Amino acid sequence: MFSFALKNILFYKGRSITTFILTFISAILFIVYVSMMDGSHDSMLKNSLKIYSGAIEIYHKDYRDIGGNEYLIRDVESIEKKLSLVDGVELFSSRYETYGLLSFGDNSMASMVVGIEPKKEEQLTQLKVALVDGEYLKYGSQNCLYIGSGVAKRLKVKIGDEISFIGGASDNSFVADIFMVYGVFKTGLSEFDDSATFVSRDYFDKLMLSKNIASYITVKVKDLDRVDEINSEIIKLLNDENLESLTWKTLMKSMVETMEVDSIFGYISLSLFLVVIFFVIMIYGFINVSSRIKEFGVLRCVGLSKKHIFLLLFYEIFILSTFALILATPIAGYICYYYSINPIVIEGMAEMYKDYGIVSDEIPFSFDIFTISWNISLIYGLNILSIIYPYFYINSFKSIEASRHV
Amino acid sequence: MIKLQNVNKYFYRGEPREVHALKDISLTIDDGEFTLFSGASGCGKTTLLNAIGALDSVNSGKIYLDEKEITSLSEDERTTLRLNEIGFVFQAYNLVPVLSVEENIGFIMKLRGFSDSEIKQRVLEVASMLEIDNKLLSLPHALSGGEQQRVAVARAVASKPKIILADEPTANLDSKNSQKLMDMMRELNIKEGVSILFASHDELVKESVDRVIYLSDGALVNA
Ligand SMILES: Nc1ncnc2c1ncn2[C@@H]1O[C@H](COP(=O)(O)OP(=O)(O)OP(=O)(O)O)[C@@H](O)[C@H]1O
Ligand SMILES: [Mg+2]
Repeated sequence: MFSFALKNILFYKGRSITTFILTFISAILFIVYVSMMDGSHDSMLKNSLKIYSGAIEIYHKDYRDIGGNEYLIRDVESIEKKLSLVDGVELFSSRYETYGLLSFGDNSMASMVVGIEPKKEEQLTQLKVALVDGEYLKYGSQNCLYIGSGVAKRLKVKIGDEISFIGGASDNSFVADIFMVYGVFKTGLSEFDDSATFVSRDYFDKLMLSKNIASYITVKVKDLDRVDEINSEIIKLLNDENLESLTWKTLMKSMVETMEVDSIFGYISLSLFLVVIFFVIMIYGFINVSSRIKEFGVLRCVGLSKKHIFLLLFYEIFILSTFALILATPIAGYICYYYSINPIVIEGMAEMYKDYGIVSDEIPFSFDIFTISWNISLIYGLNILSIIYPYFYINSFKSIEASRHV
Repeated sequence: MIKLQNVNKYFYRGEPREVHALKDISLTIDDGEFTLFSGASGCGKTTLLNAIGALDSVNSGKIYLDEKEITSLSEDERTTLRLNEIGFVFQAYNLVPVLSVEENIGFIMKLRGFSDSEIKQRVLEVASMLEIDNKLLSLPHALSGGEQQRVAVARAVASKPKIILADEPTANLDSKNSQKLMDMMRELNIKEGVSILFASHDELVKESVDRVIYLSDGALVNA
């Protein structure tokens, strides 16, 4: 039956070539598209991790949900001591976040003002890289403010201008001060650029009475793939039920969800594409089978069973799919691999899509054997499904009628 | 031995008009017969042959192949029966276009699970009887009509069925090739002891057979 199938494939060249090419092309497109989608999601995450969010962040319980001064971390030093013992932790830094009113001339706005350790943040995040005007905060800077480009625009300030700040200190007392604009940054995360400003903790702590106090501690890990493992180690070591240590998967839930929705839409459009391919392959199979109704009828007359016929059709599509996929897989795999190392660069993409958290013009592909294998299996499955209708079509003819079919 | 008892067959062409294609047919055909069903066009020759060959069901009556009652078999059982016990020769040759002559002849043996060496030997044997042993590697479309029909006969006879049913085997052949085919089938009938039943209105076939069964309008005619 197998060699019979092979002979049919060689004989009915038109159908074979069409099926082969369609399978080949759809496999390549499918694998590459999925790889591109996964890869760009991956890089979106990595980029936003690089900009400001940490792979792991440690909070006092309820700070994230309720907020307020009761839920600040009040023994930063002891936690930091413990963190330095965790092997997978590369670096960490505490942040003191508060909301205050910034005013300059006639303009004022609410802003997230964050006390940071400038030296450490330089290594943890892209804050310094995002500098567009003036200078980055120096350790020990006095009342200097590093502000987002959106903030600068709203307040209509330039380097050297003095901004007044009104807010509440960690003991709920009222605080007011004057800051000088020292630098302006633009990360590309527009929400962030429109509201965040930074001050060196050294100065800010005196003002806010926040020495050894933090809103949270951000942690950079050595290996992002091991983040869950490292996080559980941290939780064990902290051993404090008033603290919670969260990974980016929780912290950036909304982003992860957005990407999931994006993936779903991606898969929907892919499925439409595959359905079209499926029908084309099926139609070609069907046309082929229709032209062979008489032949199948004769075969049935002389004693070929339905099982034999199914096997025959199965082998035909199996051989064709296998050949196409054997050829397509390494090619698609190589494309994915190549672009995972040398990402495609689209000039201006970051600018256009900055609202979506895209901060780089590069689209790296993901290269993942598991993903590629299930992609291939799916196409195999679809191809094999495509013989079902032709099979039933053949069997809808009685053998004698079919044998006289013209 | 083939035995038919009161076989009736109707075709329904859109409800009210039905065709009573076989009318109460009872007859017996012994092993090794070389027999023809004859009669005017539309008298039911093909229908009768198909019923005997388990290709089509009948509405009433019984057909026995040896002791086996075949009218009550399921579709799958009939397929198996055809594969194992009956050879077919069709008017339009009906060879498998992608297979060589050799593979066409051996096709049914292969389906029945004969070994490759058995098949090869038997294919050579029947091919030389039918004088097509020099064409074994050709594809069917490279053969003349007469040759293709001999390949079809070879395919039918190769797996040593009990009966061969041949519906208008000479209809597409000229008289010279028809005569040759009939001579060779006669030879097979004698040498191999296989019963061969024809349905045909070809005079040439009538002259070659031992027994002619006449049909008229679906019923047997007593000659
Ligand atoms: N599938 C069918 N559906 C309806 N009627 C049919 C069918 N097959 C045959 N008939 C009718 O049954 C009758 C017998 O047909 P059958 O084909 O057996 O005749 P035949 O003797 O073989 O004729 P011919 O010499 O032309 O081959 C005819 O009236 C024919 O029209
Ligand atoms: Mg007929």
